[in-house]
Amino acid sequence: MASMAAGPDHLFNLRNSFYLGAYQAAINNSEIPNLSQEDIVERDCLVHRSYIALGSYQLVINEIDEASATPLQAVKLLAMYLSSPENKESTIASLREWLADPTAGSNATVRLIAGTIFMHEEDYSEALKHTHSGGTMDLHALNVQIFIKMHRSDYAEKQLRVMQQFDEDHTLTQLASAWLNLAVGGSKIQEAYLIFQDFSEKYPMTSLILNSKAVCCMHMGNFEEAETLLLDALNKVSDDEPTLSYSDAKDPETLANLVVCSIHVGKPSPRYLSQLKLSHPEHVLVKRAASAEDNFERALQSFA
Amino acid sequence: MLTKFETKSNRVKGLTFHPKRPWILASLHSGVIQLWDYRMGTLIDRFDEHEGPVRGVHFHNSQPLFVSGGDDYKIKVWNHKTHRCLFTLLGHLDYIRTVQFHHENPWIVSASDDQTIRIWNWQSRTCISVLTGHNHYVMCASFHPKEDLVVSASLDQTVRVWDIGSLKKKTVSPADDLMRFTQMNSDLFGGVDAIVKYVLEGHDRGVNWASFHPTLPLIVSGADDRQVKLWRMNETKAWEVDTLRGHMNNVSSVMFHAKQDIIVSNSEDKSIRVWDATKRTGIQTFRREHDRFWILAVHPEINLLAAGHDNGMIVFKLERERPAFAVSGDSLFYAKDRFLRYYEYSTQKDAQVIPIRRPGTPSLNQSPRTLSYSPTENAVLICSDVDGGSYELYIIPKDSVGRSDVVQDAKRGTGGSAVFIARNRFAVLEKSTSQVLVKNLKNEVVKKSSLPIPTDAIFYAGTGNLLCRSEDKVVIFDLQQRLVLGELQTPFVRYVVWSNDMENVALLSKHTIIIASKKLVLQCTLHETIRVKSGAWDDNGVFIYTTLNHIKYCLPNGDSGIIRTLDVPIYITKVSGNTIFCLDRDGKNRAITINATEYIFKLALLRKRYDHVMSMIKNSQLCGQAMIAYLQQKGFPEVALHFVEDERVRFNLALESGNISVAVASATEINEKEQWYRLGVEALRQGNAGIVEFAYQQTKNFERLSFLYLITGKLDKLSKLMKIAEVKNNVMGQFHNALYLGDVKERVKILENAGHLPLAYITASVHGLTDTAERLATELGDNVPSLPEGKTPSLLMPPSPVMCGGDWPLLRVMKGIFEGGLESAARGGAVDEDEEDVGGDWGEGLDMVDVDGMENRDIEAILAEAEGAEEDNDEEGGWGELEGLDLPPELDTPKASANARSSVFVTPTQGMPVSHIWSQKSSLAAEQAAAGSFDTAMRLLNRQLGIKNFAPLKSMFIDLFSGSQSYLRAFSSSPVVPLAIERGWSESNSPNVRGPPALVYDFSQQEEKLKSGYKATTSGKLTEALRLFLSILHTIPLVVVESRSEVDEVKELVIIVKEYVLGLKMELKRRETKDDPVRQQELAAYFTHCNLQLPHLRLALFSAMGVCYKSKNLATAYNFAKRLLETNPVESQAKTARQIVQAAERNMTDTTELNYDFRNPFVICGSTYVPIYRGQKDVSCPYCTARFVPSQEGNICGVCDLAVIGADASGLICSPSQVR
Repeated sequence: MASMAAGPDHLFNLRNSFYLGAYQAAINNSEIPNLSQEDIVERDCLVHRSYIALGSYQLVINEIDEASATPLQAVKLLAMYLSSPENKESTIASLREWLADPTAGSNATVRLIAGTIFMHEEDYSEALKHTHSGGTMDLHALNVQIFIKMHRSDYAEKQLRVMQQFDEDHTLTQLASAWLNLAVGGSKIQEAYLIFQDFSEKYPMTSLILNSKAVCCMHMGNFEEAETLLLDALNKVSDDEPTLSYSDAKDPETLANLVVCSIHVGKPSPRYLSQLKLSHPEHVLVKRAASAEDNFERALQSFA
Repeated sequence: MLTKFETKSNRVKGLTFHPKRPWILASLHSGVIQLWDYRMGTLIDRFDEHEGPVRGVHFHNSQPLFVSGGDDYKIKVWNHKTHRCLFTLLGHLDYIRTVQFHHENPWIVSASDDQTIRIWNWQSRTCISVLTGHNHYVMCASFHPKEDLVVSASLDQTVRVWDIGSLKKKTVSPADDLMRFTQMNSDLFGGVDAIVKYVLEGHDRGVNWASFHPTLPLIVSGADDRQVKLWRMNETKAWEVDTLRGHMNNVSSVMFHAKQDIIVSNSEDKSIRVWDATKRTGIQTFRREHDRFWILAVHPEINLLAAGHDNGMIVFKLERERPAFAVSGDSLFYAKDRFLRYYEYSTQKDAQVIPIRRPGTPSLNQSPRTLSYSPTENAVLICSDVDGGSYELYIIPKDSVGRSDVVQDAKRGTGGSAVFIARNRFAVLEKSTSQVLVKNLKNEVVKKSSLPIPTDAIFYAGTGNLLCRSEDKVVIFDLQQRLVLGELQTPFVRYVVWSNDMENVALLSKHTIIIASKKLVLQCTLHETIRVKSGAWDDNGVFIYTTLNHIKYCLPNGDSGIIRTLDVPIYITKVSGNTIFCLDRDGKNRAITINATEYIFKLALLRKRYDHVMSMIKNSQLCGQAMIAYLQQKGFPEVALHFVEDERVRFNLALESGNISVAVASATEINEKEQWYRLGVEALRQGNAGIVEFAYQQTKNFERLSFLYLITGKLDKLSKLMKIAEVKNNVMGQFHNALYLGDVKERVKILENAGHLPLAYITASVHGLTDTAERLATELGDNVPSLPEGKTPSLLMPPSPVMCGGDWPLLRVMKGIFEGGLESAARGGAVDEDEEDVGGDWGEGLDMVDVDGMENRDIEAILAEAEGAEEDNDEEGGWGELEGLDLPPELDTPKASANARSSVFVTPTQGMPVSHIWSQKSSLAAEQAAAGSFDTAMRLLNRQLGIKNFAPLKSMFIDLFSGSQSYLRAFSSSPVVPLAIERGWSESNSPNVRGPPALVYDFSQQEEKLKSGYKATTSGKLTEALRLFLSILHTIPLVVVESRSEVDEVKELVIIVKEYVLGLKMELKRRETKDDPVRQQELAAYFTHCNLQLPHLRLALFSAMGVCYKSKNLATAYNFAKRLLETNPVESQAKTARQIVQAAERNMTDTTELNYDFRNPFVICGSTYVPIYRGQKDVSCPYCTARFVPSQEGNICGVCDLAVIGADASGLICSPSQVR
């Protein structure tokens, strides 16, 4: 499907920055003149989602009030969900209310947020209930991710094909195909690497891109290069966002991957692991390591 | 047609190219002959001696001569160097149409309206032959380029070929001039030197031109019947081959192209036509509005033509000669003939890649014009002008540096230009609609986008961006955002060259180079008078480019200069350090080494890298006035200072840069008033009082000097100066100084001595020197002047100086940086040397390690031979059945749900995590651990190796597990995606087929540890060594190797390490048990029976020998000493050993009884450290194979600390190859 494009796409850069993890850049460059009403809502959503990605939940919760548009309300919901896990029941309840409403429930952003939240809940079928019909690139990309997490790359591929038909060169299409490539492995890893390489050539380097490249390297068995990239990413976070609360907590994925890399290059560094434990006690790697210890002790029992 | 040069003048009747230089002679109807440099586009000279039109002109091919013939019946031979007509040949009786030198002999052939052709010897300046036969004007005559033939064309409608062979014989024969002279007279009419060979009849009107083919026996002629005829000849006859019709009026000139298989003709119909000489069809026609063409000329060497017309002439070529190329990293792809070729810069290897399509139509300029390459996809886009602009897409097969001749079925399309804009995307320009189509490698349109300006060509501008060119500007357009990123007004841009980092771009126009940033912000513009041909960026950001005749550079600030001159145009493809890689017009790759010093130096200056500047100044001989002028002009006099020898220039530069010390040195050297004065001024400006004083002293400028002393408060010097003035009888100076000093008495004295008594009196009385005043009053008598009333006199004293002496403090910025640079450069050198020394040491260290490794391998090899057999089919049954567990992934359910997708969405069931697949597939403990199935892993280890104590393995289990996943942050704020890391990745692995998990431990790490263990042992760090060896033993159960042979190596390693662990444990134990000398001796003795490396064995023997000797067990010590000597130890050890041998030989006894019989072979129990002699019962560790006394059965092995002694075990499985 060749889409014949019309006028300039004002939000292109903003969206790209957001997708590629340049959240601070997205926030800083959000003042764009001559936006339509629709674009303004999307812009605000992107900015607030960037704040969420940076961990500034309270700012988002405070800034979005009752009068804000539906999509923004949904973004606020996400901020509430992520900021206080102890109150997530009530957040999910109000999310379900939103979803029950036919107009709000069909709003793409609401569905996207619903998908994200249910994904955190590991309730993939509930997530897919709202996201499977797609409609925006974001939703399709989320679907790809859900299917990857479900180890159903066949389904993920179908979603990706829809995205490719819509716009093969869209940043999200490229990203999603890289994710899928990584998930299916083999020769596709090289392709994933090339996609991230393209990004790094075209856009300012972000820790997300560096991290993704590092993951590719790890999967190609090149742990030394992965480590270099990750150390870059670690420095990036502290360089780029020195004023945010997020900055003293290093990027969790960078730390997690560094832990893995350092094991492989044969210089285990407990520093990364303890840093990660400190800043993100809920991270998958931390939980996994803890369960591994239990697992080991349990297995020992059978030989006692 | 590509016009290279045009002139406006009177009608051009004759043209000739210089064979070597870029010159052309044009003879005009007005009688003038013009000499043009067509490259520079300048008129070099004009020769104006003919009366009336000059129709024929020709350069000599080696001498600085040309010949001309005109309507004044004169043939003139000129020396263009001296600008003189050397002589005139007279003889023709009517207009002369053409003249031509012979390529070898000193001959000139001329054709004239007097119906004759004459051949002249320009050395003897005589006519040597007259060729008669034509019965109308002879319009043209020329020599054959090789044979002894002349062809002529005449208005009598014939073309004639003349044989001048006998003429040649005659001249080369030894006959003297006199002979020839007489002969010539007889030959004058109808002689025999030149005879008509063929008369070619066929034209219906007068023939204007005929010329030979350069190599083949062909003739082409053009006539007033508007036809061009092609003739062929052999030894005996000549015949008409074909007629080329098309001209609408008289054909004035026609010739074969020097290199291509084409014929070019021009005519009074105002057109030039190009014909295919083989197919005899018209290829192209170039028309002019108003000018009839009269003459053509072909360059003998290069691909150039010239044509003269009513109002001047044009120099042109028919086809572009620039090879299409694309550079990618170390490789260059270029099109040559009908092949795509590949050139590797680093190796200078050149190879043919694939054949490409030959243009289907015979028209000109259809060869590839641009080339675009995508390195990751190995795809090439070739654009040409075929079908009004089209491209072909070739994918280069991976294995094809072959010479296959089959043209790949390329994907094609039409479009103005096509370039790759991303790895697998290319953009094609649709000129008509000013749109760009983005296509994928299948040549399918992915996207369409309209361009912001009417564009006639597109270029790459970074991923996803295009540089669009129109007549007068370029823009960079982002195809995704559909935004213009930058815009720049430029002349018509021909080529675009991006810097290596894609930060800068050079836009090359015909006579302009524009350097701009990646957003098209103008950085500098360069104008060239000569056409710009090509360029490339060097690694430092200097743009190197070529014009027709120079290689030049352009610095980022726009400074440019010549690097060297060129004989022929080249096309730069890449610059790498001092080497310029380029393609020449024949499509050959060349590497030219240039002297980059000048521009590197200027660049270093520009970037203020003074350390580089300094080292370059010191190391290279770049010098000369130009460089000094450049430095001065650019504001670097202090740098220029370092180049200059001449003191005056040096002085000037030093002053300019404020470098006083150098200036002083120079001024002293020169020692002229002028310099001292200027030095003083500058020193004063800088507040350097010392130098100011010095300068004033040198020029004996006492007034300034005293004023200087006054203001700097140096009163003592001032008074000295006063004395000098007194000696010199300089009253005024003396008085000044006294005044400055506030010395009233002195002043009075001076005034008195000078005879100014009234003044002296007043001075004295005003300052209250009454004694003196009275004395003076008496001397003055009546003439005592009256003092002014009502004023209180005060003493005039010199002001106290603000700062007493000393120089002003200076910020030594300029000097500091520069001198600093010098020092640091020097220091840098020293550091380098140090580092080299260290490197040397390291190298040695590594060598030693290598030696160790070698020995190790030898031992391993021996062991392998010994044990290879028994290990072979050890373990087949154990876990083989696990392969059967290879469950098919649950593929059924999704299919069902996919079908049901139509209306209701059914969430697919979850797939199987990779870790499950791993744990199902694998029978290797390490892989199970990585998959997180610790219990399975433990069970495997227990069964295979009898391991029961897993505590030492815990951290490794957890590392293996942690190391098997990576974490991908995908969609913002959504949960992270963990991904399973697989082992043994290669590009050819197929996706969706799960490989085994990536593992943390491998065999080579263990080998490294072994080496460090050896090292630690040698240096006596036994605890460290033991730790390393134990860690090897603990890791090996979790090591996975690929091949069977590696399995054997692993098993050997276990044995080697076991020996060391046992030995080291005993040795450490020995060191603990100080109070039991017997046990100490025993342990030392057992240690010598562990299988150790030779150096370690020596150490063990040496220590055992010492221990036993000390305990007076001389017989045993003797035994150790003997064994030690057998190992050929170092001299110090050997000496001790020999002493012990001597001592023991005298008294061969033991004082204490040891449980040690070296004659009886034994192994040592791994727990109790007692010998188990051959024949005694023992049990062994199933993993490390250490032996134990039977009582130890069921305990954990004391050596490896893992397995249960005497347990049943199937053996080590550490490779998938063992279970396959």
